[in-house]
Amino acid sequence: MSRIGVFVCHCGENIARTVDTAAVAAALREHPGVAFATDYRYMCSDPGQALIKEAIAEHGLTGVVVAACSPHMHEATFRRACQQAGLNPYLCEMANIREQCSWVHDDREAATAKAIDLARTIVEKVKRNRPLDIIRIPVTRRALVVGGGVAGIQAALDIADGGHEVVLVEREPSIGGHMAQLSETFPTLDCSQCILTPRMVEAYQHPRIRLYTYSEVEEVEGYVGNFRVRIRRKARSVDEDLCTGCGDCVAACPSRRTPSEFEAGLAARTAIYVPFPQAVPNVPVIDRAACTRFRAMARGSTKEVCGRCAAACAKGAIDFSQEDAFVTEEVGAIVVATGFSLYHVGREQPPGLKGYGEYGYGEDPDIIDGLQFERLASASGPTGGEIRRPSDGRVPKTVVFVHCVGSRDREKGIPYCSKICCMYTAKHAMLYRHKVHDGRAVAFYMDVRAAGKGYDEFSRRAIEEDGAEYVRGRVSRIFRDGDVLRVWGYDTLSGEQVVVAADMVVLATAVRPQTGARELAQKLGVSTDAHGFVSEAHPKLRPVETSTAGVFVAGACQAPRDIPDSVAMASAAAAKVQALFSHDELEREPVVAVVDESTCVGCMRCATVCPYGAIEQREVCTVDGQVCGHVAYVNPGVCQGCGTCQATCLSKSIELETFTDEQVYGEITALAGWE
Amino acid sequence: MDEAFEPRIVAFVCNWCTYTGADLAGTSRLPMASNVRVIRLPCTGRIDPLFILKAFDRGADGVIVSGCHPADCHYTAGNYHARRRFAVFRDLLEFVGVDPRRVTFSWVSASEGAKWRDVVNDTVATVRELGPFTAWRELAPADATARAGER
Amino acid sequence: MKELQELARELLAGGEVRLVVGWEDGRRGARPAFVRDPDDAGRLIFDNRCVHNLATYLDPRRDHLAGPGRIALVVKGCDTLAVAGLLREHQVTREDLVLIGVRCGGVLETPDLPAPQPLTPETVAPRCHDCPVREPRLFDHVVGEPLPAPPQPAVTLDQRVAELEALPLEERWAFWRDQFAKCVRCHACRQVCPLCICERCVAEKTRPQWIDPAPHPRGTVNWNLTRALHLAGRCVGCGECERFCPVGIPLSLLNRKLQLVVKERFDHVPSDDPAQPAPIGEYRLDDREEFIR
Repeated sequence: MSRIGVFVCHCGENIARTVDTAAVAAALREHPGVAFATDYRYMCSDPGQALIKEAIAEHGLTGVVVAACSPHMHEATFRRACQQAGLNPYLCEMANIREQCSWVHDDREAATAKAIDLARTIVEKVKRNRPLDIIRIPVTRRALVVGGGVAGIQAALDIADGGHEVVLVEREPSIGGHMAQLSETFPTLDCSQCILTPRMVEAYQHPRIRLYTYSEVEEVEGYVGNFRVRIRRKARSVDEDLCTGCGDCVAACPSRRTPSEFEAGLAARTAIYVPFPQAVPNVPVIDRAACTRFRAMARGSTKEVCGRCAAACAKGAIDFSQEDAFVTEEVGAIVVATGFSLYHVGREQPPGLKGYGEYGYGEDPDIIDGLQFERLASASGPTGGEIRRPSDGRVPKTVVFVHCVGSRDREKGIPYCSKICCMYTAKHAMLYRHKVHDGRAVAFYMDVRAAGKGYDEFSRRAIEEDGAEYVRGRVSRIFRDGDVLRVWGYDTLSGEQVVVAADMVVLATAVRPQTGARELAQKLGVSTDAHGFVSEAHPKLRPVETSTAGVFVAGACQAPRDIPDSVAMASAAAAKVQALFSHDELEREPVVAVVDESTCVGCMRCATVCPYGAIEQREVCTVDGQVCGHVAYVNPGVCQGCGTCQATCLSKSIELETFTDEQVYGEITALAGWE
Repeated sequence: MDEAFEPRIVAFVCNWCTYTGADLAGTSRLPMASNVRVIRLPCTGRIDPLFILKAFDRGADGVIVSGCHPADCHYTAGNYHARRRFAVFRDLLEFVGVDPRRVTFSWVSASEGAKWRDVVNDTVATVRELGPFTAWRELAPADATARAGER
Repeated sequence: MKELQELARELLAGGEVRLVVGWEDGRRGARPAFVRDPDDAGRLIFDNRCVHNLATYLDPRRDHLAGPGRIALVVKGCDTLAVAGLLREHQVTREDLVLIGVRCGGVLETPDLPAPQPLTPETVAPRCHDCPVREPRLFDHVVGEPLPAPPQPAVTLDQRVAELEALPLEERWAFWRDQFAKCVRCHACRQVCPLCICERCVAEKTRPQWIDPAPHPRGTVNWNLTRALHLAGRCVGCGECERFCPVGIPLSLLNRKLQLVVKERFDHVPSDDPAQPAPIGEYRLDDREEFIR
């Protein structure tokens, strides 16, 4: 026997001005199953909530309907009040007579009639509500961080310092990411590696961080609090436990022509290599595609060629027979921090992007990108920190910097701003001028975006103190003309064409997601946007969560981002992980689907449509244990409550709690009394 | 058409996008027709053609089904399944002679308060022009418990 | 026929199957046969009166599949589409079945004749038009000689669908309303359909009661529309529903229309490959949404 209490809120004047709240209460009082109805000025206030609690006690209410603002506003408030009064909170619902009624209609009669209708539908729904309990699932209090750049390192350290174990997976042989490649960082001109390497070492030595480098996430199963992750540890061909990092193998390697990834192609490395001297771990890796011995093996040769690294190794740490190994880690949360890659500018582009053939990148060695300039400027780089151009090693006397190569260009398929380029171009101009006092730095820009703390001052410094010439306009062509590169540009402020004879050109290329980011996102079940960046759950209010519970995001893999923001975001993601781990059990709203095994025929169409893979096949047995069929089963820990399964089920053998067929039917048929 | 005819419209909307967009229309105080009664579902994926048929049974002259734009579904894919389901449903309705303008399908995001207002107003105007859905109401037996008060 | 009978005898005598489901001659004409004894295998026939879609006997709710051992099913190519549907929806496992495919040259509209008749544009079943599986592809054994293609029916299903679509809306509604008003809710269409596998059909659900059980027009319209919707992308076009309808509602037109819809919108045709997913349950990012504002 239903005894529903209906509480109609005036919301001051917000509702009462347009809706006759007393009339609504009066109409609902007559509605079958309503035991009590009243109206009040501010239901969400303390006295308002007290009204509800008293009515529950006095009238033995079996359900509560508050006709007021949107449930998005105050459903939690009134559910809490009901719970405090001893009524199951899921027996409380709201009818929206403000945002969707009094605020959008003028006619008092029509608005009141509508408010009565809406309240009636919710009363009919609540009659069919069931008392539900919060779902509790266990949590594995270990985290996985994918990506060992500055964001991944920060997140791993924060979580580990918070007392939880972290598995940090990095696909390169060393952690450090792009930050390790930078010379100095804006706006302080701190040496990048100097501030990063202590963090790298800390992560490596941290008792609660398990570091897998040269490794990739192979497969992810499970759901928030309970993930199983299979990690591929690629074969280094070196035994990490025996290696002392002495470097003798590298010195002995005869294959020296592979372009170094760390040096952004400006220098070569050996086949057995450590990417950079400060690498963590300081254990080399054999690039089997470059190694003479492995290439021979791949060709089918049975002769044992080369092997000089093994001969040079005093510890016998080289192991040519090593194969990829797999480990499975159980974690409760995942942080994606895979960083970015740079738009490669040339004519050949993946689908959806176009290149700038007219800039000659990839065709002339003196046309380089920002990361390559960082390697030139870096003291540990291929030129020892001297700015020398790649073609002949001469010190360039005129360097042109071009902003926005790819970025902000719908034509090329990259409509967004890459955020960091204005700042690093100013930095590059400054570094160049510091190192080449008689050098000329010319920067072609569209805008100068320097929004961070100390950023505008920094970029002004490049112009006012370090003499960089800023030309507002774009570059139409760059081409080799004998000893120089001709840069054809335009100065929009003076209205004149500008041609610069440059010795070297640095292109500030667009920031793009890391290679393989989409595939990783699919493995994790997170969405990516049109450009391949990981999608956040809500752009304003949930920037470090994804729409997949338990998977968080940090750093440039979500959008172009500089170091301070990446670090901040990583700490934010770590805080979310800590919050997840702060409970013994995870609490989830019981809005989950449940299968009626007596009518389910196990066609599994529900499982096909479930976006979360929450539904599996389960055998059913007779009383004496004989398997007699199968049905569908919903894992309440994974189900997110969309209800697609139910609309897909032909026999309606699956019901979504709080939005059951009976509840919706009740709402529709309540409208039978339209006047 | 009877000038006093006010169409009855039921709207089945998804909680995360359209319902929130409708709330935004409210916070923005965008005036709109009052004929629509909203029923909130978690996702368009949950919306069953049976709901629409039942709404017509119960005297609705028109129905609105609205949810998140493709790629924006809170549950990642519910609206893609709904899209196929509703394409077939609407083609079937048209084949059996129901005017497809009686059911409006829309994608209204949480930030599209004005679009919601337009969907509401346009649907009400269209259905007003189509007239009461007597063809469907006449399916009911004379003594059926359809609703009180014949218009 | 001899080939089929020999094969059935072998399968039964050797214990490979415990039951062969096929067709036999009966009092009224061809009818389903259930042969358990190898000596009875001579009952089995195949001719153009063998209209019945025997895949309907694979429904786990029936007892033919229950119990140890496998069963053999004699199937025309069109019937294998339904078998594939049942495999797709996990109602049977392939290992439990021995499929005896028969090469087909088209069937009549009715099995109720004392002997097979020549196929003419008037007598051939319209659904045989343009059949792509007269040579079955889903089978364990295949019997029979390749037969010539059936004649073009006097009026194809697609022509009749197009005729209806050419009518103005009100006339279309009048047509269907009157057709559905004939419905006596016997549910023969559902009972014979191989893809109607629900333990408790939504039409029998009372809490809530989406579909009125009574045979008044509101109930029958809702029933027939819901059934058509539930079969969208699953119906194989065997036409048994219409053949069984005692009051002659042109159900195959409804089903055919929805087959055309899923073909045009989702590029789907009924498939005899169980690995091919059904269109409702899948989606593509670029599915047409011209009807959504």
